[in-house]
Amino acid sequence: MRLPISWLAEYIDISDMSVEDLANKITFAGIEIEGIEQVGPSLDGIVAAEIRECMPHPDSDHLHIAKVFDGQNELQIVCGAPNCRNGMISALARIGAVIPNGGFKIKKGKLRGVESFGMLCSARELSLSDDGSGIMELPEGTKPGTPLANLFGSCETVFEVEVTWNRPDCLSIIGVAREFAAILGRPLKMPAIDFPETEVPASSLCSVQVKNKSACPDYTARVLPHVERRPSPDWMRKRLELCGQRSIDIVVDVSNYVMLECGQPLHTFDYECVAGHGIIVRNAGDGEKIRTLDGCERTLDSTMLVIADKETPLAVAGVMGGEGSEIRPGTTSVLLESASFCAPSIKSTATRLGMHTEASHRYERGVDPFLTDWASRRACHLLAAYANATVASGSVSDDSRSPDPLKVKLRFKRACDVIGMAIPPEKQISILESLSFRKVDETEDCAVFTVPSFRVDVDCEADLIEEIARMSGLDSLPEIVPSSTIVAGANDSSVRSVSVCRNTLVQLGFTEAMNYSFTSPSVLDAFSTSNRSMRMPLPNPVSAEYSVMRDSLIPQMISTMAYNHAHETSTASMFEIGRVFFKNQSGVYEEEDRICIALMGFAGRSMIDRTRPVSCRESILWLKGALESLAWKLRTPQLRFVSKDIEGFEKGFSAEVFIAGRPAGVIGIIDSAVRKKCRIQSPLSVVELKRAPLLSNVFKTVTAKDVPAYPSTSRDIALISEAGVSNEAILQIIKKAAPRELVGVKLFDIFTGAPLGEGKTSVAYSLEYRSSERTLNDDEVNAFHEKIKDALKSKLHVEIRES
Amino acid sequence: MTLADIKKTQEEALSQIASASTQAEVEQLRIKYIGAKNGLVQAMMKNLKDIPAAEKPEAGKALNALRAAVTEAIETAKSKTGESNSASRSPFDFSLPGNWTVPGTVHPISQVIEEVSRIFSSLGFTVADGPDIETEFNNFDALNTAKHHPSRDERDTFWLDDGRLLRTQTSTVQIREMLSHKPPVRIINPGRCYRRDTIDATHGANFHQIEGLYVDTKPVSLADLKSTLAYFAREMMGPSVKVRFRPHFFPFTEPSVEADFSCHLCHGKGCRVCKQSGWIEILGAGIVDTRVYKNVGYDEDCYGYAFGMGVERIAMIKHGITDLRLLYANDLRFLQQFV
Repeated sequence: MRLPISWLAEYIDISDMSVEDLANKITFAGIEIEGIEQVGPSLDGIVAAEIRECMPHPDSDHLHIAKVFDGQNELQIVCGAPNCRNGMISALARIGAVIPNGGFKIKKGKLRGVESFGMLCSARELSLSDDGSGIMELPEGTKPGTPLANLFGSCETVFEVEVTWNRPDCLSIIGVAREFAAILGRPLKMPAIDFPETEVPASSLCSVQVKNKSACPDYTARVLPHVERRPSPDWMRKRLELCGQRSIDIVVDVSNYVMLECGQPLHTFDYECVAGHGIIVRNAGDGEKIRTLDGCERTLDSTMLVIADKETPLAVAGVMGGEGSEIRPGTTSVLLESASFCAPSIKSTATRLGMHTEASHRYERGVDPFLTDWASRRACHLLAAYANATVASGSVSDDSRSPDPLKVKLRFKRACDVIGMAIPPEKQISILESLSFRKVDETEDCAVFTVPSFRVDVDCEADLIEEIARMSGLDSLPEIVPSSTIVAGANDSSVRSVSVCRNTLVQLGFTEAMNYSFTSPSVLDAFSTSNRSMRMPLPNPVSAEYSVMRDSLIPQMISTMAYNHAHETSTASMFEIGRVFFKNQSGVYEEEDRICIALMGFAGRSMIDRTRPVSCRESILWLKGALESLAWKLRTPQLRFVSKDIEGFEKGFSAEVFIAGRPAGVIGIIDSAVRKKCRIQSPLSVVELKRAPLLSNVFKTVTAKDVPAYPSTSRDIALISEAGVSNEAILQIIKKAAPRELVGVKLFDIFTGAPLGEGKTSVAYSLEYRSSERTLNDDEVNAFHEKIKDALKSKLHVEIRES
Repeated sequence: MTLADIKKTQEEALSQIASASTQAEVEQLRIKYIGAKNGLVQAMMKNLKDIPAAEKPEAGKALNALRAAVTEAIETAKSKTGESNSASRSPFDFSLPGNWTVPGTVHPISQVIEEVSRIFSSLGFTVADGPDIETEFNNFDALNTAKHHPSRDERDTFWLDDGRLLRTQTSTVQIREMLSHKPPVRIINPGRCYRRDTIDATHGANFHQIEGLYVDTKPVSLADLKSTLAYFAREMMGPSVKVRFRPHFFPFTEPSVEADFSCHLCHGKGCRVCKQSGWIEILGAGIVDTRVYKNVGYDEDCYGYAFGMGVERIAMIKHGITDLRLLYANDLRFLQQFV
């Protein structure tokens, strides 16, 4: 909200305070001054001056040398303006003045050898208009030496006030002045609300009937049988403009002015346009229409409150008036509305209609319900004074407000405990009284206060404690040593395990990425379309680019890799830990934490070995190796990979990943068609896993095993297998045939190529045997080894290569 | 072949090897004597079958000894000839690039979350987590947000078609914690939040918050809150950083404050980051509103404070990041600075 200081000063004496001091004081009492704006040029040091003599400069074809009288002295000024002439009154910037347009400071100067003691200014240089064709021509008779600020108004300081949602009482100049009054301990000066009334009672001229009393606790109408539509006085126009409002004419301006002044929205109807001169406040009919003042036709529904006459709606209550009863050039009589509407009703109507007005802004936050009559009188005072208005006597209202003010109890000790300062009861009471709370009861431990009607935000003890805290100054809170409290049973190991996982991945060479939780359907489609119907769309996205929640981390990881590939980084290893969203089997939206790890290009290769292209096989083994290292560090149980064709992955290069026998995710090389679209040439390997099973064992306690007491013996097996025999199948047979003395199997060589024949692979394993009871002799080991060889031969039809 | 032959061969071999002066000579001798295919020792092994049975064990042993002695001599000679040559070899080029995996980097957002969590953990807070999809109750009602508060608007909140929403604040975790635990509760809860802001240099529709909550049955005051946040400020931003409170409004705390930290870069003198004010707005905080206790079934006379901060904002302030979108662009050239 904009708050001109000069307007504020009308209600409270702040003449001895600096702008900064004012801003600080109120900011630290809870009404934040977000900005301080200077409106209008600062004309300090700029005065009217008479040109008494004007001669051409001997060394220039366009400069003049003028003798100028500034009310005190005659000064020599060099001026280049074509209109500079004898006898003219113009604007002089004295030495030391700052030129508003451009901000430069005037110094004594020399132009082509001639000294100049100031500058004659154009209106543009003074930011008074766009006219820069010559120096200003001030009216004849203007006294030399008159400050230009006296002629054009001085610069105004306007506060930009951030009024928090709970303090609608501060959405007005008087509201803020009231806060200052409490902070500074100075009286609040209220403006005049008196006006002469005619003998005709308002009740004979109009009627008011409120049909929905809970939505409209009070509707007060006054009738002004005669108004003259004229321009508003300059001071009023200026104040409206400083607050960002356009001046229309006195009738419209006064209702805006009073709203800005005290916070009560008012509405003026052309009295003659109110059919039967009867105001009815009722809910709209479903589908009922009204053309509002902004020229739009609005379709209403039965949740909305309207101000109507017996025929049609005249205004959307608390939001905007209708065209039909608007003040127009021919209007001579006015019906003035000052009403209290309930906040949720106005909020709901304004939201449904997509309208936001100064009135609805205030009503939906809460306007003092007991302000209606005062504001109505204030408007009549101003209209009587400036629109030559006559006002019918009295008002007509339909009033169902509860006259009993709210009472709230305050326990002095609770206030001290919550704030953390010993504030004596009398101090607590005086703070609340300065804010217009009235003490109605007091005992040793507590006091009861009535809440002023404008404080719609206060209804319990915590609210009173807040008032005491902010007014006693949060700066004075004592410095104490922060305390630590141990909460029994609290356990955040599941959160900490994520941190272990993240740091392990980083140590393994992966950089953490972070993507938005929402993305565009096209990003998801680029990877996979089969689960489209299970996605979670956003009904009201910020843009189509972010209109669906991600159902996998992979699509954005592909985009991330593509982005980096296109930005000088074609080798990358990254991961993301994040949430995905989808519709589960029962059609309910669900979220799941996942981890996605990816590598692109030469990620696993030495820096000096990056000329050979990377094969898919190489890439996927790097990723699998990284994942196995991660799983080792996280102590993830039983990681297993089962080949499977999966959409979005290169055929033959994808698998389902199982953890402890349960499906936990997928791994593979991204399909070359997908890669091609995002211009990634090298293989891109990606794994995505559910976070929970991966991290299930991170903090499991280690049970130590003894270091082996006896040496182990190694034996190798080399075999040539047919296509399709997996490492896993061989290992299974070895393990099944092995005695418990087999303590380790390592694949140490793998070879395919011409000498072996089509589809054949030579693999070599080193088997390690050890007994925990004694040293094994060669014969025993040979016997174990032969048994394993036999098992392989019989179960897999492989050829064992003897060495 | 006799034992004497074997002995003679051994003597010859050892003397030849001892006099070899180059690696090539040694290699030739290795092939001559113990080469796998045509080596002399191999040939003698084959001849073993022609020796009378009684002498076989002796001869076999002698041959094994011969092989061992020659092998050892060759090894010694190899390293010797190598050594004598090393003077003429150039030293290892230590300017070659090393070859080991370079670690990655933790995302600056995660770094802030981990750092903040660490600091508050040292004060006895535990880290709690909660879902992004939330109920209106946990996100608004329980937190004392008026039914007509604008934050509930479709314009501000991502409502789902099932009536739930994407949480607009991580305070939802606090409600969950209070609904499931009796006081005392002392948690810190980082997480993602969603608001319908247009994405620009300082706003994201998807961002991270960290909130903290301490509720107890014994008095907990604004002064406790301030000292806790002052400790946090010093740990997070530097030992000279101070905290000031400005009264503010949040539906779920009362009194509510905004906490400013004195600028860690200019130490309060005024700079670009603090917009010349010397102070940077970092946190929202306050005393938990008693209406929240009522909503979660706590005794309304409980005491407690809550605070919250934007993770992206802290990352930006701490590292001087000028555009929030950089945090989500995943440009490795940007991310890899945050070692």
